[in-house]
Amino acid sequence: MTAFVVVGAGEAGGTAVAKLREGGFEGNLVLIGAEPMAPYERPPLSKEYLRGESDHVFVRPPEWYADHAIDARFGAKAERINVTDRVVELEGGERVPFDQVVIATGSRNRRPKIDGLDLPGVFDLRYAPDADAIKRAAKEASKAVMVGMGFIGAEVAASLRQLGLDVTVVEFFGTPLERVLGPTIGGAIEALHRDHGVEMFFHDGAKRFEGGGRFEAMITKEGRRIEGDFAVVGVGVEPVTEVAEGGVPVDNGIPVDATLATSVDGVWAIGDVARHDHPVFGSIRVEHFDNAQKMGEHVAKNLLGPTAVFDDAHWFWSDQYDAEIQMAGFATEWDDMVVRGSIEDRSFSAFLLKDGRLLSTFSMNRKFDVRRSMPLIVAKTHPDREQLADPEFDLRQLHPPKEPAP
Amino acid sequence: MAEWVKVGSAGSVPEGEVTAFGVGERQVAVANVEGDLHAFDDTCTHMQCSLAEGELDGTIIECPCHGSQFDVTTGEAVGGPAVDPVGVFETKEEDGELKVLVGEE
Repeated sequence: MTAFVVVGAGEAGGTAVAKLREGGFEGNLVLIGAEPMAPYERPPLSKEYLRGESDHVFVRPPEWYADHAIDARFGAKAERINVTDRVVELEGGERVPFDQVVIATGSRNRRPKIDGLDLPGVFDLRYAPDADAIKRAAKEASKAVMVGMGFIGAEVAASLRQLGLDVTVVEFFGTPLERVLGPTIGGAIEALHRDHGVEMFFHDGAKRFEGGGRFEAMITKEGRRIEGDFAVVGVGVEPVTEVAEGGVPVDNGIPVDATLATSVDGVWAIGDVARHDHPVFGSIRVEHFDNAQKMGEHVAKNLLGPTAVFDDAHWFWSDQYDAEIQMAGFATEWDDMVVRGSIEDRSFSAFLLKDGRLLSTFSMNRKFDVRRSMPLIVAKTHPDREQLADPEFDLRQLHPPKEPAP
Repeated sequence: MAEWVKVGSAGSVPEGEVTAFGVGERQVAVANVEGDLHAFDDTCTHMQCSLAEGELDGTIIECPCHGSQFDVTTGEAVGGPAVDPVGVFETKEEDGELKVLVGEE
């Protein structure tokens, strides 16, 4: 019987398995995940789940896997994909044979070299137990100290403020999210957090965590001493590629072509770990939920055939306080930014363009602009600046005609 | 037992639009697809956002929160993170009223 093996049981791997079975695959289907839980959504861990407003949201209910004859190995560590023997080698020596294998091992938090990083009371957030630990600490705390104001940092800061804690953050760049969004949009996010009482120090970073057996204070590179009950470090992630090494090429993730196939026959990669040759954006590795889910769906379709190119516009959301933030596309640099609405009133969309071409759209509290701009981004459109800036102009008017359904 | 409940006046949901109506304890959304009215549970089965706040494209409603998509004619989840379908209800317009056939929850 044909065997498909998915290594990594996060959003991407869980979705791939679900879509394979639901898409009619009747062969052996194995899902190997290092975490003991069935695949669950990570976005709530910094938001609703951290605030105690929701339980875990599962990709499929935990019992679904057994009900659908999935050989689910949760809590099992895959050590190596042996492409010569075409087996996945597990810790303990078991060898799981495959005809096709999908690598969906995701990413892990960077562990910067900071003295005291291993002190109790210094947390980071990636997995469910991390969220549980921060939740427990927050219950007995009045003050949190944070490092990093990327999306995770900004969301955790917002959630902790909503739980009533004082929050102080240090951030390497000049605004939150400056590296990905630039100073104007970053400034809007800074203002949002400032208005909600977050104390922020920019162009600074953690030098050392101190405490007698438990975190008590952070000493910063600029010489500040910031005391608190616990600390949360959020300084980015790196792809988890060990399982591929020695058999599948690795270079800032696992390179895949436009169809999500690696250069090794029958080996695919999806989600955070996949460095994708995107037909619109070029080489890109995306660390967001929606991409993980869409790649999971897509690889399932490709395994069932026929093979198609993955050209999703990349979309994500970030809820901070009452601000609904969304973004689509990908822009490392842009020479023009058109704003629709009012940054000051926190109801705006920002269109990032290069040589007139729309690369990316960001919005705060304007729910339709981002999604409506996605077909324009994929079609490499050069939209009219005045139409972009006009809140009354419906971007759907610029959509390319839909291809008839197959 | 299911019964016809008046939720608004006839013609109150223009073509291409979706509107949510309170029906007892629940919210029912009514979408107008090329003149045909389709009623469905307004609450997304993923994380309980209001679907009527989302965008209607043909017969597909997309949740504004996380992009789950449902076919308004069947309730089936056809895209995004939602797995479970939303309930669908019959609708009719008579005597100048928009009515939805709802049962007990």
